[in-house]
Amino acid sequence: MNLSLKLELPSDPELLRVIRSAVKEFAAVTGFSEDDCRSITVAVDEALTNIIRHAYQNRHGEPIDLVCRRCDEGLEFILTDRGQPVDPAKLHGRPLADVRPGGLGMHIIQKIMDQVEYGQVPEGNRLRLMKYWKIRQEGKS
Amino acid sequence: MKTSTRQVGDATIVDVVGQIDLHSSSDLRKVLQETLRGKTAARVVVNLGRVDYIDSSGVAALVEGLKTSMGLKIRFVLCGLGPAVKELLKLTQLLSVFQVCESEEQALRA
Repeated sequence: MNLSLKLELPSDPELLRVIRSAVKEFAAVTGFSEDDCRSITVAVDEALTNIIRHAYQNRHGEPIDLVCRRCDEGLEFILTDRGQPVDPAKLHGRPLADVRPGGLGMHIIQKIMDQVEYGQVPEGNRLRLMKYWKIRQEGKS
Repeated sequence: MKTSTRQVGDATIVDVVGQIDLHSSSDLRKVLQETLRGKTAARVVVNLGRVDYIDSSGVAALVEGLKTSMGLKIRFVLCGLGPAVKELLKLTQLLSVFQVCESEEQALRA
């Protein structure tokens, strides 16, 4: 059965731990394992961090919409912001062999989630993250 | 997140408690850099046993600490990693880059 939660957030890093709690609990309610809930929470947190740092250039109080939705395929998160467009070259993460601080967020998101789609909508930037139920993941290979 | 430092022999131990994220990672970075650049220790042990969350900005603070320690020839050891910290370091292929010990006692002998 479909289930959804919409959160309207300010781009304030101090609130990230509150959002993490909500995302983790939502993932748990929808039936994901504890390990999956933890990793899904990391992916959404990294996406929010990217929006605050890059789209809003660390400006606080700017709007972010987060929609969490359980659907037939799994768990979907849609994040919308009104900040600067993302440089497409930065959506793929950087080579990890280069050990240096920074630039790890997109890599983490892509390793955890099954689908990551970025696009422009009239409101601004839209990032869609999808995590499939395990049974479908096992069917993929 | 809270940090504190204490001296054990020739080592400085940095105790970190709580969640390391975009809000708190700059504090961790500052403490690590100040501890390393204070040059009072031959070894810096970062005890992460009471950290229940870390994000990529926290990992970046640890990587920066490691790089500074290498330049200053100070041993930099992480210990007490819980599942959240271990998983993120594995995911970013950085677990093998750090010297990691299970316990603080092992980190002081490593």
